[in-house]
Amino acid sequence: MIDSTVLASINLHAVLRNLETLTQLDADAEDLLNGHRCAIRFSVPGIDRLTLTFDQGRCQAARGEAVPASMNLRFSNADHLNLMIEGKKNPLPTKGFRSIGFLKRQFAGAADLLSMYLRPDIKRLKSDPDFFRMATVLFANTAFYAAAEVANLDPVGQALLAKIEPGSINVTAGDDFQVCLTNDNGLSVRQGSSAAAKAFMSFDSLETLGGVLRGELDGFVCIGRGQMSFKGRIPMIDNLNKLLLRVEAYLS
Amino acid sequence: MDTYVYKKRDELFERAAAVIPSGIYGHLGPAEGCFIPTSAFPFFAERAEGAYLYDVDGNRFIDYMCAYGPNVLGYNHEEVGEAARRQWEKGDCMTLPAESMVELAELLVDTVDSADWAYFAKNGGDVTNLAMLTARAKTGRDLIVKFVGGYHGVAPWMQAYGSPGILKSDVSNIITLPWNRLDLFRDLLRKNPGRIAGLISTPYSHPAMYDSELPAEGFWSEVRSLCTEHGVVLIVDDVRAGFRLDLRGSDYYYGFKADLICFSKAIANGYPVAALCGQQAFRNAVGAVFNTGSFWLSAVPFAAAIKTIEVLKKIDGPALMHRLGEKLTNGLSDIAQTHGFTLLVSGEPALWNMRLTDDESGVLHQAWVAECVRRGAFFTNHHNLFINCAMTDADIEKTWEIADDAFRAVRKNHAMKAR
Ligand SMILES: Cc1ncc(COP(=O)(O)O)c(C=O)c1O
Repeated sequence: MIDSTVLASINLHAVLRNLETLTQLDADAEDLLNGHRCAIRFSVPGIDRLTLTFDQGRCQAARGEAVPASMNLRFSNADHLNLMIEGKKNPLPTKGFRSIGFLKRQFAGAADLLSMYLRPDIKRLKSDPDFFRMATVLFANTAFYAAAEVANLDPVGQALLAKIEPGSINVTAGDDFQVCLTNDNGLSVRQGSSAAAKAFMSFDSLETLGGVLRGELDGFVCIGRGQMSFKGRIPMIDNLNKLLLRVEAYLS
Repeated sequence: MDTYVYKKRDELFERAAAVIPSGIYGHLGPAEGCFIPTSAFPFFAERAEGAYLYDVDGNRFIDYMCAYGPNVLGYNHEEVGEAARRQWEKGDCMTLPAESMVELAELLVDTVDSADWAYFAKNGGDVTNLAMLTARAKTGRDLIVKFVGGYHGVAPWMQAYGSPGILKSDVSNIITLPWNRLDLFRDLLRKNPGRIAGLISTPYSHPAMYDSELPAEGFWSEVRSLCTEHGVVLIVDDVRAGFRLDLRGSDYYYGFKADLICFSKAIANGYPVAALCGQQAFRNAVGAVFNTGSFWLSAVPFAAAIKTIEVLKKIDGPALMHRLGEKLTNGLSDIAQTHGFTLLVSGEPALWNMRLTDDESGVLHQAWVAECVRRGAFFTNHHNLFINCAMTDADIEKTWEIADDAFRAVRKNHAMKAR
């Protein structure tokens, strides 16, 4: 069963937070946003807030309310946010009306770019290596950040998280993709790797990473071929894999 | 020491991958089998003989997984094979069961301490499931207690909520307690009067991924009397340890008597058969449960089981495996020490568990196991290992040599802090 609160949390903290990565990797996004300063807070009842701070062409995503916001977007409930992500509903700004222009132009443009990568054109994915790289990194980001939301909020996810011991898991595809998931009374994700990780999930390429996460490749076959490998505390990896299956149910 | 190379393995795996989900699924596969890294492990067997497994690339391994338990006398055991062949000539899967079914039941009742009857199936999971159904049928109660890490098969109630395909309702009548915690079991009984149908447990804790743990002093005698007092059916899952510790059953080995006891792996030296045995009080309940399968009463595995048990009795298999296991593991621990590693050995010697404790993540242990496999000792890094009766002192010495060279390779490849 898909829980709309979990989905909304995924939409904020896994999908929209990707704007941070997008602006690091995509020059078009940077150009679009350059010269604009704005901090947008997304408020959905019952879910940690997300604040996206745009400055000098970059975006920074922050959880909670520690970072000040110049604009507040309120959603009446989780479904309201989920419908906005599908493009079927608009948010209600309650603060920062002066930034509406930014919201409608720059932010909407960046969000369109993001969805171009997250719902990619299959032909372009095959023919344009740069596009493939961006789309795969952003998609993988979404999947692993979503795994944390599922682990913390979804009942199945919580049952799986209970079997993941405290500590970190490094997930890598060479130098192209590196995230670290840490269980410390809840699962969190950050870019990069931990020197003290207890478990390791490695992909030999972005092709394998993307193929496995999109369900186009048989992950177990990839393990047999050595394209995907695990080591360290295997129960951590095993339960992360099950979390990713659950993520697939939310994102499909 | 030379290390093995695998070529045909990869060709065959590609063929498998084209037509079989995962290529090789389940515990024999590179993923579930924790082949870390996969490059170190064989994937497909060409043949097996005695203590050895030969892969499709012609490499020979001293096989310490023993097909995850079934190989107890040695692969392709001549007397067992001959008994199976003789039955096969007469018939195997037929419309009626053969005399070999009755003979095996008689032999089990004579051999297994807690057996007044025997009921047959194929896999271990068939009889652990049957035991659960029997406990519910007998008591009219719902709840089943098991212990953390206890593996009883793959039926939904045996799996964990959160695993793909498993619903909360599948496990809502299952209570899982930590091993060796009598206080928690007592507490549970007190809080659920008249609700607990059965307790299912392996004779000692031998979970995959974690160290094995023997029963604490007095644990089983207290569990036995609590079950009797509260009308809880005591089910021993002896699928893995059965016939490796004591032919009379692992409950007998630990000094108590199960109500129901499950056997499979080692019972027929690799021929497919499982048995649920139990005390008189449970025969009507097990008979009332509807449970059967197309191949359950096939005659050949029964003939193989009879011969396996006869040979195990003749050579006192459990004592032999205990001695071999103890010798092997003492040597491995000593060799680890000479290289500055600490090998923790747990469980019973005939199906011991081992783990290098020198790093928290287990990466060193995985690396050492891989180096052993590359040199011809088939271990896995996540599961207990098994001894079989065909192993010799020479095999153990060869394994020590392999382990020694493997430690040297690990030392070279993994820079470790000075200790
Ligand atoms: C203790 C125990 N119980 C039950 C089973 C299930 O047996 P099978 O795989 O034959 O169904 C196993 C198999 O590993 C086991 O080790």
